[in-house]
Amino acid sequence: MTSIRPFFAQLIAAVAVVACVIVFASASAQDAPPKAAQDQEAPRKVVHVTAERFAFSPSEIVVDEGTLLEIQLRSDDTNHGFRIKGTSTNVVIPKRGRGAMSVTFDATTPGRYAFECSKMCGAGHAMMKGSIVVKPRQAAAQAQKEGAR
Amino acid sequence: MINRDALVVKICLGMVGLALIGPPSVFAQPVQPAAAAAAAQDPAAAERARLRDDLDRLEAQLRAIKERLQALEPASAPVAAAASAAAAPVEFESRTGPISGYMDFHFNKPEKNDGVLDFHRFVLLFNHSFTDRLRFVGELELEHSLVEGLEEAGELELEQAYVDFLINPKFNLRGGMLLMPVGLINERHEPPSFYGVERPFVDTVIIPSTWFDLGAGAHGDLGKGLSYRAYVTAPLDASQFTADEGIREGRQKGVQSNVRDVAVTGRLEHRGPPGLVLGASFWRGKTGFATPRIHSDVGLFEFDGRYTRGRFEARGEFAKVFIDGAGELNDAVMRTIGVSPNIASQLRGFYLEGGYRIAPSTWTHDLGVFARYENFDTQYRMPAGYVPLAEFDREAWVTGVNYYPDPDVAVKFDYVFLKNRSGVIRAPNSFNVGLGWWF
Repeated sequence: MTSIRPFFAQLIAAVAVVACVIVFASASAQDAPPKAAQDQEAPRKVVHVTAERFAFSPSEIVVDEGTLLEIQLRSDDTNHGFRIKGTSTNVVIPKRGRGAMSVTFDATTPGRYAFECSKMCGAGHAMMKGSIVVKPRQAAAQAQKEGAR
Repeated sequence: MINRDALVVKICLGMVGLALIGPPSVFAQPVQPAAAAAAAQDPAAAERARLRDDLDRLEAQLRAIKERLQALEPASAPVAAAASAAAAPVEFESRTGPISGYMDFHFNKPEKNDGVLDFHRFVLLFNHSFTDRLRFVGELELEHSLVEGLEEAGELELEQAYVDFLINPKFNLRGGMLLMPVGLINERHEPPSFYGVERPFVDTVIIPSTWFDLGAGAHGDLGKGLSYRAYVTAPLDASQFTADEGIREGRQKGVQSNVRDVAVTGRLEHRGPPGLVLGASFWRGKTGFATPRIHSDVGLFEFDGRYTRGRFEARGEFAKVFIDGAGELNDAVMRTIGVSPNIASQLRGFYLEGGYRIAPSTWTHDLGVFARYENFDTQYRMPAGYVPLAEFDREAWVTGVNYYPDPDVAVKFDYVFLKNRSGVIRAPNSFNVGLGWWF
């Protein structure tokens, strides 16, 4: 009886150690940020956009490539939609005085991304459009240099 | 021996539990000096102390993470939800939006006259996306609730029915039944979006809102807050112009519209500083197709502005209409019906309005008070040989309250002080109540 107990104790201890190693390894893999992100964190830009019948203001948002863009959306009247074409983003902006909606856009690829109101908001609903312009990193650097001069 | 085995099992189980609830880095932490001292005397007590330390440290880390998350959220306003978007293409699905619309009904009580109840507008809007670049928008309006054949009652109107061909943000094409892009109200007339029970006089008798007809054109956003619309449409019918309502009755409304000549119209709009919107519009067309050999052109220009800052709102509009050949037109119509319509060669109107939302920010409802001054004259300039009638040179003070139980529902009260320059025909003041909503 006494000879069996040390066996079970050692067995449980071994299982526990293996479990610890597995949990440690998996947690370490989750916690470790990608190497690129560790080396250089993406710059973040917050833009406040107001929606009202029948326009977004501002209707054009310009960011540099690699920027993590956060768009804070508010309505001055009714519910509006905010849909970025070519992406899965499609949200409803709360009515006036009912808070805001936040959307993030990872500007990884240069180009022009059109957005629009995706919820019928009145006779001029189809006019509610805008775009996010993602400038290439080189162009952004060039613009910074020219600005410095 | 048995006690030692039991201790080993307990320690191992404790390690498993800790590994499951905390980050693995705790295992790499050096043992605290106090725990190390205790370990020499009582290993079990030392282990308990170490586990307690580890738990304390984990709690501290959890608090720090919570604080960082709260710091990332904007402090000024509640954020309804957060969504993230990567630039990953998704397949477009053809979809039909739900039916939307707006309605308003009014009680109008002109001075020294009986009050009337009128379900003024019942409007349904439809939209459908064939593809991401091809869309339909429709607006069907029933005015005054009843339409009967051959009787002057309500109207059933197709105010909008067009297809958009979306090419790029700066240039898109549109064709079908279009709203003229003129003025503040013609394209933006949902009841909760303006003060007052009835639309402004200037947007009724100088700019004939709701002004729509068949046509095609381009629209787009030029960047830097500048947008435009430019259409070619069916013209007005000058033979229907009147002295008191100007060009309003000349709208063909897409009813087999005569297009012997066409009209051009456009609008340029700028959104610069926050809250400020400035716009300018024009309309020009030959309008004499129903009166052969009469040269009749109509030109209209308009500019407007809106400004919103916090609770304060202001707007203003100026519009002027030129009717070439008004004298010949009057003569021709008089020969036909025996009475001169007394059409002017120029019409002019403007208004200024200020409003303020007075409801405390703690209210879920909203309350706005406003006052508007309007000056409008449908006989501002007359053709040679015609005398303007003073009753058509009018001005109005409109003041009242909009109560919003919801941003999409407006209960409106106003009083209109209307007067003209005639010493004989008096313009009646009126008290008005309205209920309008958008859904």
